[in-house]
Amino acid sequence: MEVADRAVGFLLSFISVSIFTYYTFWVIILPFVDTDHFIHKYFLPQEYAILIPVSAGVVLLCSLCMFVGFVMLKSKKKKA
Amino acid sequence: LQNNIPAFLYLLNKRESHPPPTPSSPTRDLPAASATHRRTLSLDFNSNFCIPNPMKHVVKILTILVTISAFWIGLLETSVVPRSHTWLLPIYFIVSLGCYGLLMVAVGLMRFPTCPQEAQLLQQDILEAKEFLKAKGVDVGSG
Repeated sequence: MEVADRAVGFLLSFISVSIFTYYTFWVIILPFVDTDHFIHKYFLPQEYAILIPVSAGVVLLCSLCMFVGFVMLKSKKKKA
Repeated sequence: LQNNIPAFLYLLNKRESHPPPTPSSPTRDLPAASATHRRTLSLDFNSNFCIPNPMKHVVKILTILVTISAFWIGLLETSVVPRSHTWLLPIYFIVSLGCYGLLMVAVGLMRFPTCPQEAQLLQQDILEAKEFLKAKGVDVGSG
């Protein structure tokens, strides 16, 4: 039980640190690098740096609203 | 609920008669917990009455937001950094905030304290309460 918790915690922290470093590199450091450096191969074009977080946020918001709506509908159906 | 009250009182009496196990277990420290609950009000000496704490928290968050947006608008106006760079900054901060929250959750998961002795004592308490209630004639089914 404890080992599973620590494994999940470690995985989550690894994912969050990797996302943070990748995003920092992408947004802050890469614009200052010359455009014919090899490192640009490993990063998607810069438009995706805005597109991916915004779309993820929109998806999160929509799923939250849908969840709230479902719960409200279900409670109203149960009361009726 | 009326059937559960005798079991509740029985368990409470049992808890008080147990000696406090290890000093590192946070669940037993009742006096310390009540000491930290005293900070619900905070004194504001300028206006001489008490402001409740959630209000001050909101004011703190709002001032942080205002300073950050002022900094960002200042950066945009004076163009120390190239402009396309500056437009990306708010999104970067939001993403990094989400990452930070995830990191805190993961760290809390990893450092979560389990108390095996407490679990053992709790199981014993449950068994004794069940026997007590069965002796009194109340039917306590498992689950």
